[in-house]
Amino acid sequence: MTSDDAPGGPGTQRRRADDRARVSTRTEVREAIRTEIAADAPTTSEMRVRRENAGMPVIELDHVSLAFDEPVLEEISFAANEGETVVVVGESGTGKSTILKLILRLLVPDKGRVLIDGEDITHLSFEEALKVRQKMGMVFQGAALFDSMTVFENVAYPLREHTDLNEDEIEARVREKLQFVDLDADQVMQMMPAELSGGMRKRVGIARGIANNPELILYDEPTSGLDPLTTGTITRLIMKLQRELGVTSVVVSHDIRSAFRMATKVALLYEHHVVFFGTPEEMAGSDNEYIRDFLGGF
Amino acid sequence: MANVFQRLNDWAKGVVLAIQDYFTLAWNAIRFAFARPFYGSDLVQQMDAIGVGSLGIVLLTGFFTGMVLALQSSVQLKTFGATLYIGRLVSASMIRELGPVLAGLMVAGRVGSGIAAQLGSMKVTEQIDALNTLGTDPIKKLVTPRVLAALIMLPVLTIINDLVGIIGGNVIASAYVGLPTSLYWRTVWEQIAAGGFTFRYIPNDFIQGIAKPFVFGGIISVTACYYGLRTTGGTEGVGQATTRTVVTASVLILVIDYFMTQVMLAVFSE
Ligand SMILES: Nc1ncnc2c1ncn2[C@@H]1O[C@H](COP(=O)(O)OP(=O)(O)OP(=O)(O)O)[C@@H](O)[C@H]1O
Ligand SMILES: [Mg+2]
Repeated sequence: MTSDDAPGGPGTQRRRADDRARVSTRTEVREAIRTEIAADAPTTSEMRVRRENAGMPVIELDHVSLAFDEPVLEEISFAANEGETVVVVGESGTGKSTILKLILRLLVPDKGRVLIDGEDITHLSFEEALKVRQKMGMVFQGAALFDSMTVFENVAYPLREHTDLNEDEIEARVREKLQFVDLDADQVMQMMPAELSGGMRKRVGIARGIANNPELILYDEPTSGLDPLTTGTITRLIMKLQRELGVTSVVVSHDIRSAFRMATKVALLYEHHVVFFGTPEEMAGSDNEYIRDFLGGF
Repeated sequence: MANVFQRLNDWAKGVVLAIQDYFTLAWNAIRFAFARPFYGSDLVQQMDAIGVGSLGIVLLTGFFTGMVLALQSSVQLKTFGATLYIGRLVSASMIRELGPVLAGLMVAGRVGSGIAAQLGSMKVTEQIDALNTLGTDPIKKLVTPRVLAALIMLPVLTIINDLVGIIGGNVIASAYVGLPTSLYWRTVWEQIAAGGFTFRYIPNDFIQGIAKPFVFGGIISVTACYYGLRTTGGTEGVGQATTRTVVTASVLILVIDYFMTQVMLAVFSE
């Protein structure tokens, strides 16, 4: 059983999904986005308060450039303050996943700096980088669960690597995290990743990403390839994390609708550059040709 | 013309870089064996997969190789009336050459391809990135246990291979030639003793027969991990990684076997 029924109940969700199907033109999309934002109003204002209180940026990209065979990112700058959720959107192949890998320091920029908690991580040694990564949780696009391990061992992995918790404490933590992502711990704990559905894998991926209670969480397309209901569930999960644990997040997403629901700020990538960085409201109200096309495309 | 030269230059640079990467990987794998944290259970698991898992195939190939060696040499030796020497021929060939090389090739095919496929699919499904992200060094967690396990298990497999090969020779020698088993084993021992001893008790043939699989174990595991971790391009890439591993490891085993033999012959025959 995948417990996809979250607050609101299946009825509301089905209605939303129907709405989604009916929306076709650009104005309607923008209207729908405004409605969605309004629906989440308490959360948004809550975040706004937190943003005003927030001090230093937790994650900052400062004029970052990176080329593989050809340039991928040029002069990328944006920052996520404490408790904020920055959603990175853009067409396929524009380097969104690459940005997450830069933040994790799985890649090193050719130019510019990446700062985590004000510390420049660009010149860290491999071992030092492993330490910095312990502050972060990452949810991979395909979940990237270790397929030789059970769900339990997957979620327990960061705990075994980095904490001194004993077996009982580890089990308690794993259960807590699985329940947090709406999974039935008793049922899934001993399953292998290959036995899970796509939505369940994603949720186990999130549970593993947050097992260590990281201060920042990175999501690579957490909702891509999922049905609207599961997409809704996962979007709500990410918002719940932000609300309840106050984590700072960077989310890469194709799904502009859920992006707008959870974003404090949106960064739009186009032709190697960040062409827009601001609040969802600012984006929805923008008259820029490309932004309007981009929003209309969804 | 300049274009051709440029291309050649790029290619050579690529080769040099690849070789450098290969040895860096080998060095890191060994270096991490002595640094915390230790992934002991991974080592045991790999020793089981490589050693126990390859036992059947090694028993089978060793036995038949010993039999065919005895059969062929009995035909040749009969013409000189020297069938007494079957044991010497079988043991010399098995211990010095066929044992190590056959075990190496079999393990390259069976284990090398498996390691490359596993690490390759972990790479393309971002599990390697996930390890890094969760603060684990993938070389330490994945490569070190596999390299250590291969270094330990290949000599063991080779000894078993040698032994069943010589037993296979024994079966043929007594069944076809009518050579008494005790005589067969006496000639086997004579052959080993004829190779001379190091430190008075260790037969030189054994040193040769163990040094080779040790090196082959390193070649197989490092090659497999090297190609596995460099996999790109989805499932197709995984297929390429396994093929490259088996081809490269097999060729390296045969080439390096020649040079090791030459060195050892020079060392032990002063
Ligand atoms: N390791 C690499 N080596 C060479 N090129 C790479 C590598 N990783 C990414 N690229 C290239 O960089 C560009 C950006 O890739 P990236 O995966 O960041 O895109 P993306 O925005 O996440 O796309 P998608 O939305 O399809 O996931 C692509 O053109 C890709 O081919
Ligand atoms: Mg991507």
